[in-house]
Amino acid sequence: MSALLEVRDLVKRFPVKRGLFFERTVDYVDAVAGVSFDIAAGETLGLVGESGSGKSTTGFCVLQLMRPTSGSVRFEGRELTELSGEELRRVRRNAQIVFQDPYSSLDPRMTVGNIVAEPLVVHGVGTRRDRRARVRELLDVVGFDPMYVNRYPHEFSGGQRQRIGIARALALSPRLIVCDEPVSALDVSIQAQIINLLKDLQAEFGLAYLFIAHDLAVVRSVSDRIAVMHRGRIVESGPAKQVYEHPQVAYTKALLASVPVPDPGRMQERKAERRRLQGAVAM
Amino acid sequence: MSTTPHQRRALLSPLRLRRERRYPELPNGVPGEAGTPVRASSLWRDAWYRYIRNRAAVIAGVAFLALLAYCLVWPLVSPYDPYEVDFSQASESPSLAHPFGTDQFGRDLFTRTALGGRVSIGIGFAATLVILSIGVAYGAIAGFLGGFVDNTLMRILDALYGLPYLPFAIIVLAIFGGGNFWTMVVALSIASWFTTARIVRGQIITLKENDYVRAAHAVGARWLRVLGRHLLPNTLGVLVIAVFLELPGVILGEAFLSFIGLGISPPDASWGSMAQDGYRAYRTSPHIIIVPSVAIAYLILCANFIADGLRDALDPRTRET
Amino acid sequence: MSAPLLEVRDLRTHFFTREGVVRAVDGVSLSVDRGRTLGLVGESGCGKSVTALSIIGLIPKPPARIVGGEVIFDGRDLTKLSERELEDVRGERIAMIFQDPMTSLNPTLTIETQLVETIRRHNDVSKREARRRGIELLDEVGIPNPDARIRDYPHHLSGGMRQRVMIAIALSCEPDLLIADEPTTALDVTVQAQVLDLLDELRREHDMAMIVITHDMGVIAEVADQVAVMYAGQIVEQASAVELFARPEHPYTEALLGALPQLEDAASRAGRLTAIPGRPPSLLDPPEGCRFAARCPYAGEPDGCAEHPPELRELRPGHLVRSEHPASERARSREGAPA
Repeated sequence: MSALLEVRDLVKRFPVKRGLFFERTVDYVDAVAGVSFDIAAGETLGLVGESGSGKSTTGFCVLQLMRPTSGSVRFEGRELTELSGEELRRVRRNAQIVFQDPYSSLDPRMTVGNIVAEPLVVHGVGTRRDRRARVRELLDVVGFDPMYVNRYPHEFSGGQRQRIGIARALALSPRLIVCDEPVSALDVSIQAQIINLLKDLQAEFGLAYLFIAHDLAVVRSVSDRIAVMHRGRIVESGPAKQVYEHPQVAYTKALLASVPVPDPGRMQERKAERRRLQGAVAM
Repeated sequence: MSTTPHQRRALLSPLRLRRERRYPELPNGVPGEAGTPVRASSLWRDAWYRYIRNRAAVIAGVAFLALLAYCLVWPLVSPYDPYEVDFSQASESPSLAHPFGTDQFGRDLFTRTALGGRVSIGIGFAATLVILSIGVAYGAIAGFLGGFVDNTLMRILDALYGLPYLPFAIIVLAIFGGGNFWTMVVALSIASWFTTARIVRGQIITLKENDYVRAAHAVGARWLRVLGRHLLPNTLGVLVIAVFLELPGVILGEAFLSFIGLGISPPDASWGSMAQDGYRAYRTSPHIIIVPSVAIAYLILCANFIADGLRDALDPRTRET
Repeated sequence: MSAPLLEVRDLRTHFFTREGVVRAVDGVSLSVDRGRTLGLVGESGCGKSVTALSIIGLIPKPPARIVGGEVIFDGRDLTKLSERELEDVRGERIAMIFQDPMTSLNPTLTIETQLVETIRRHNDVSKREARRRGIELLDEVGIPNPDARIRDYPHHLSGGMRQRVMIAIALSCEPDLLIADEPTTALDVTVQAQVLDLLDELRREHDMAMIVITHDMGVIAEVADQVAVMYAGQIVEQASAVELFARPEHPYTEALLGALPQLEDAASRAGRLTAIPGRPPSLLDPPEGCRFAARCPYAGEPDGCAEHPPELRELRPGHLVRSEHPASERARSREGAPA
């Protein structure tokens, strides 16, 4: 069986522009420099990396929110990079995104109900009445009280706003959701609620996730497989257990040794490990 | 590919999610976050609260409304006919019967000022609206499309910026052959929308970077919807401020054109044309020029304070606390 | 044992806002010994940063005001000092570093100008001497090639390097106490580890006390000797780091540790995290009794902890808890009365 999503040799090149009147391109940077991975239906791939590693750009390129410079993105057997706007619109029903910042990802001038209904309106799903019922159901699924559909997002806390964002992503019953740092803006206790919710939704609806995050512990708790990104490339990938317990690449080792572990007893040991690996990480 | 029937059933079937609580984050049903004040109001109501905390802006707002009411209502109830010439009462100083005195033709200035206010404020708002419409359209297109279109439109704007606005307005009036309400509006707005276009373009470019715009693209929204539903509504606050920022300039422009004799022609009046009348007799009856000048200054002062209050209330970047 | 370097007693800092009085810090007591590190941990909005700012007198007033309590630093009550005297204390005895080094450094001045200025404000030395000391400091905080880097502007440096510069500036007055407010939150994990190790090293070399404020339990475990857990404006548990992580007593601390995804737990993919339902109460109108009662799995028994606020009490020597249901007592009552 072929994978739900197949990404091959993905490259995203950004021009560096200068110019007085009309901007000229003087140089290029490859934010993503040849990335390949697969995601099967119902599976989670965790994409970890530090800031600037290109992990978010990869997520945007998969969904064609940014057009990749080269490479191939096959989703449900169709080559997304070749699709036109109208065909792409139809594909978007099956591939959605949840953003990092629950404050900028919801339009402050729209009510919660209208935000969650937007995908349905855009694709002309159902009548007004159907949509209203669907919105209530979706909010209920994500643990947001549907009583508040007519309120505005700024009235709610980060965790609740993230639930609204997840409800919007679920509206069209997608098969793949790109989660771009979905919990990194949240407090630990709320973060756990959202992680649990994402897991429940996956179990219930058979969703596949591309889970992008910088927090290695969070990624481990949701992912079946892991890909470690560094400077636009995947430096190591494999089943979660293998990557975390037997990292092969020096960068992965250093990354793992750097994570603060809530266990003061092992502080000295981890510190020594870090010192040993110091050369692996460019500062 | 559309949704499979299986998926649809899955979502619509009764949900059996394991949950600690049904709505885990709403223990009391009251929105509000620890550490920050409870905010259970709409954005506009928030803005209203911030506005009424600014005392100068509140006073200016009330003063402005009072001026509007005076201009609209007084001519209807005034005992004097603003157009009736009566040389027996010419150039009288302010008195109980004529609070602002009378002009050279014996017309009651308290009534004429209200009438002139209608014209001045009317032209002011009409021209401001035209300025905003052109500015929003131009700026939104440049900001939204970006790239080459943006570059080209902005360079054109840079060139237009060099045009001096008053000579331009005078030429327009000359072409149209003199002042009535609508030619004044055209003359005043034709070379004044550049700044608004810049502001809107900047605003749109900033807003475009928001994740909710990206989210709209991700769910498959077409460009018209992204622009109309997400980008423009979010520039509304800035536009409301812009109205009161543009207004003083436009009103001064109108006054100037009328003063040099290119504006509203007699017997109709605007504050500018009234000042021109008074200019001829400024030694003998100074009140005739002082009254419309003070009215203009009063209006501009109000507009500036209101704009200031609105900026505090509506523009999140300058918000305190 | 000598008196602690810093002792905060029943500190209360309130914000007077349009909506009412926000009790951001509501009766916080803590102490820091010379040369030791206190970790102050809690979620956003729990009042941990306001506590730190209150200690050094940098809270925004208005709207905030210290309405009660004292801050005894080396025998003097800082809340009673004039602004002038406080400035001297801040410059010479207590230094602070913040989360975002970019906003604490002036972008229009070189590192040299900012460093030399600080050194000369507190020491009577020549410009050349100050510059020499500045380069030494940069070297000490691990900035490679310091005599070249000192001429850079802040935006030339990476986030980790900027935080190192901030630390160098903070160290320049040889403080007795360094307060670090989320010092590594804006940094990548590898850089975070380096900065934490650096802070710990410097503390030992300079015999400096530190207060490290963070939301990250892992960071606390790395650097702190003593830990105070804050929740809704109050300290709910205080103990040595080893003790706290090994035997957490307060239900909130337990839940917080349980909610943390584990890096080394292979089973975590299949299981669920133990999330804490609900969220912290509004400090505008905090509940009368225990502030954690609404989210506490053990509250609700007929003990009245939702009505009567529990006191911070010493459960074991050095282990303070503000709860009617500390873990050890729950265990004992289960043994005492087997069902």
